[in-house]
Amino acid sequence: MQTHAAQHEFTGRREDRRLVTGRGKYTDDWNLPGQLHAVFVRADRAHAILRAVKTDAAMKHPGVVAVVTSRDIAAEGWKNPGTMVSYPGRGKPLQIPHHSMLATERVRYVGEEIAMVVAQTAAVARDAAELVEVDYEDLPVAVDVEAAMKPGAAQLYPDIVNNVCFDYDYGNEAATAQAFKAAHHITRLRAESQRVSGNPMELRGAIAAHDRASDSFDLYVPHQGMTIMRGGLIGIMGLTPDKLRIRAIDVGGGFGPRSGIYAEFPVLLWAAKKLGRPIKWQSTRNEIFMTEFPGRALVLNGELALDRDGKFLAIRMQWTCDQGAYLSGAGPFINTLNAAMTITGCYTIPVAYGRHQLVLTNTVPTTAYRGAGRPDMAYIVERLVDQAATETGIDRIELRRRNAVPKAAFPYKTPCNNVEYDSGDYATLLNEAMSKCDWAGFPARRAASAAKGKLRGIGMGLFVEPAGGGMAPKDQVTLKIDEGGEIVLHAVVQSHGQSHETVYPEIVAQELGIAPERITLAVDDHAGAGMLIGNGVVGSRSTMAHGAAFKVGAIEMIKKGNELAAKKLEAAPEDIEFKDGTYSVKGTDRRVTLLALAKDHTGPGPNPLDSMGEMPLARTFPSGAHVAEVEIDPQTGVTRVLSYVAVDDAGRIINHTIVEGQIHGGIMQGAGQVFGEHVMYDATTGQLLTGSFMDYFMPRAGLLPEIACYERSVPSPTNPLGVKGVGEAGTSGALGTLMNAVVDALRPAGINHFDMPATPARVWEALQAAKQ
Amino acid sequence: MYSLSYVKAASLADAQKHIAAHPEATLLSGGMTLIPSLKQRLAQPSHVIDIGGLAEIKGIEVRNKALHIGAATKHYDVANSVVVKNVIPSLAALANQIGDPQVRNLGTLGGSVANNDPAADYPAAVLALDATIHTNRRDIRADDYFKGLFTTALEPGEIITGISFPQPIAHRAAYCKFPHPASGYAMTGVYVADAGDAIRVAVTGAGPGVFRWTEAEAALAKSFSAKSIAGLSMKAEGLNADIHASAAYRANLVKVMATRALESLGAV
Repeated sequence: MQTHAAQHEFTGRREDRRLVTGRGKYTDDWNLPGQLHAVFVRADRAHAILRAVKTDAAMKHPGVVAVVTSRDIAAEGWKNPGTMVSYPGRGKPLQIPHHSMLATERVRYVGEEIAMVVAQTAAVARDAAELVEVDYEDLPVAVDVEAAMKPGAAQLYPDIVNNVCFDYDYGNEAATAQAFKAAHHITRLRAESQRVSGNPMELRGAIAAHDRASDSFDLYVPHQGMTIMRGGLIGIMGLTPDKLRIRAIDVGGGFGPRSGIYAEFPVLLWAAKKLGRPIKWQSTRNEIFMTEFPGRALVLNGELALDRDGKFLAIRMQWTCDQGAYLSGAGPFINTLNAAMTITGCYTIPVAYGRHQLVLTNTVPTTAYRGAGRPDMAYIVERLVDQAATETGIDRIELRRRNAVPKAAFPYKTPCNNVEYDSGDYATLLNEAMSKCDWAGFPARRAASAAKGKLRGIGMGLFVEPAGGGMAPKDQVTLKIDEGGEIVLHAVVQSHGQSHETVYPEIVAQELGIAPERITLAVDDHAGAGMLIGNGVVGSRSTMAHGAAFKVGAIEMIKKGNELAAKKLEAAPEDIEFKDGTYSVKGTDRRVTLLALAKDHTGPGPNPLDSMGEMPLARTFPSGAHVAEVEIDPQTGVTRVLSYVAVDDAGRIINHTIVEGQIHGGIMQGAGQVFGEHVMYDATTGQLLTGSFMDYFMPRAGLLPEIACYERSVPSPTNPLGVKGVGEAGTSGALGTLMNAVVDALRPAGINHFDMPATPARVWEALQAAKQ
Repeated sequence: MYSLSYVKAASLADAQKHIAAHPEATLLSGGMTLIPSLKQRLAQPSHVIDIGGLAEIKGIEVRNKALHIGAATKHYDVANSVVVKNVIPSLAALANQIGDPQVRNLGTLGGSVANNDPAADYPAAVLALDATIHTNRRDIRADDYFKGLFTTALEPGEIITGISFPQPIAHRAAYCKFPHPASGYAMTGVYVADAGDAIRVAVTGAGPGVFRWTEAEAALAKSFSAKSIAGLSMKAEGLNADIHASAAYRANLVKVMATRALESLGAV
């Protein structure tokens, strides 16, 4: 494959030897002396009053140490977990329902935590958990999100009217309405972005430990950044940051759900202190299906106004967002501000307005899931554009060309929320994608498929998404010389697949002009990184934020070294020049390497070369044009993806193979949602219907052919590396691209709209219905 | 998993003894269904009697012109057996489509047929090939063996020792499977076989248990070709309907898979 990454040398990732030889260390690989084991008792129904939780029989079970219920922790006065929303809605702010971590008077979804059994072994705890008796009084359930906001629906909370906890709007409502009035044509589409499960390969688990002497805690847990997990937990428990260390070496997948502050964690911490022993808890895969925060769960209503020439005049959104029974930290943000930033897509649209209503239902809380609102926005925008092309008779590529933001317009300010796209070249992305996929040759290929009785379709997704941002005001990193004279990097990041251990040393090495092997990123080093200010590994941000900060820090180290080199070489600082890791006195052969200087100054105290790098918060707007070609077998409804071309602008690229890997993963995750992933609940009971891999479709490698990736980078002016985010771009591109291809294949059969997932059965049913 | 006792049977006779002694015991062969059930606490036997390693019920050979496969023979061994490939290649191909490599290297023929999962592959072969199930007590014809959802003619304490598959004429047998998108089990699988004196079409996955599509059998008896069944349509009534697919979709798949099985034999 002649993709861009293939043109660059790739010597592997540093973390891979450990990971592929089974020497990775995940949460379940940790064990602490004297640890006890916990199992949680969970609600077996979706909505009920808790009349009694009887723990006597469980307490008497041999080997049981404690059974914790809400009564035990009530006195602690725990606060609600925080959310990322600090802005108002229409009329009133976000209403945050109280979440007591262990259910008090009510349960609101199947799987909600009711009690924790602590025992000498996990098996004993599991047996005893079955002895906890829960008396319920069933209540009517609200499961379907659109039904839940109608008057008369079951109410989850007395003070949250019609279960709508936030009514967020943005843009200019009046001007948008005016533009729609004047429009020559309006395209309307209602599309669903169904609930999907993150399902990291690593199960959720934790070990909580308390140190009596310092009255501080260690929590070993799979997470997406220590500051997110620590900030969430200390906010609930009323601790100061120095009292909680978040510990992990390897994290087996995050995808957004692992940014969640799960109810088990504070309860485990509390009990570890109370009992004076570490407590380990490891979920089952069934518990992941039942309780891990899923993503999406959105109903997307979009409208696009066009003039006679196909110029976009205005765009309007109305979203209904299923938040589940409580609010995750990220859930309310991703479905409002995060998604709103790209309401105009890659297009010059003068006015826009959106209204997103967040609704509580008797289901597990939803959260960020690769893309976190951006794939959904890119999806509805690109579906609208294809639909508008069909309705107006304007070629769908031509329609995109006419409206794409021109290269000269960057930085481009959108009409909503003062959002500014940093850089991009959408026309080039589009043209490259067209040529790489042989768009022009498609009609002949479609005819060949038709001759075999197959429906062939081609689809494009032109997309942009925000990357970066964060809750902490800046990101700090440090570069330190260790006692052996080697360079050690610290940041508050936690890799869950992002290749930090490879990429950060590469960034610093490039700046310092030395071999990356001399540089190491410290992992699970709380003393080194614990008190740095910074954000987690979310929002496709860690290279543009922490990575750029490492570059800043490396420049600082070179500057510090200049002074030391001047002394060593007995020259004036201004006569010293630095190149390829070496200081030299201009015009002489007197020289000293940075690493030699570093070694010279090792000693008991800090090394004078130790440096810090900082980056203020910034946002980049990675973009791309993807094209997929599919073939549908109308006899079975099976869709085969024949080709997938991805042309991406991720800014300047540090490591081409790793970036391509991120794009592959993102596209595959999008393909999973397009072709099968779907968390389903029974609408009348709220019982989970997709509780295992027997019923929940996970994408397998064979779902997609080899993905052809091409780089068309426009460096970002927002950071010294010129990089943009890339972790989620593949997903933002894939939903619209693949579904536009599927709908294109189905249009000749008379189908102009189809909702994800395009499972064989659903496609076949749609084809049968179209024949009627 | 609940606490239980594990017994590794030394012989078939030993297994029989243990089963008789413990009314709440269950047999373990490859464990591909039982172990997940145990892990999820959906089964609570007092004992598991492991017969998966018994040499006396393992192996593949031709006996009296029929292919005899021991009950504890693994799917992988059936899929890769030169004997199976020579005598009934479609059976080897079926075994190669069961689960994934891990499952094929642990799961056994006897375990699958004893469990009679409505979406398992082997029952389609057993029924279409008019096989005979041998147990420690008797021989059972396929038509008398399958009794619907997870139910068989096996009596308490009865153990499958092997299965004999008569050879179809001129390799006229084929299995076509539509795998369930999530689980990989048969959403619908159709095994078509011509025994010379009779044609059998067995359907798995679509209904509450494996069954014969007798209309197709009658049509194919007249002419063994896909064209013969083109005018038929399988009725949706009684077929499975769930969150994954309607009964109508499965009914459609029965015909499509049967047609494709025939087409794979060149019987267009």
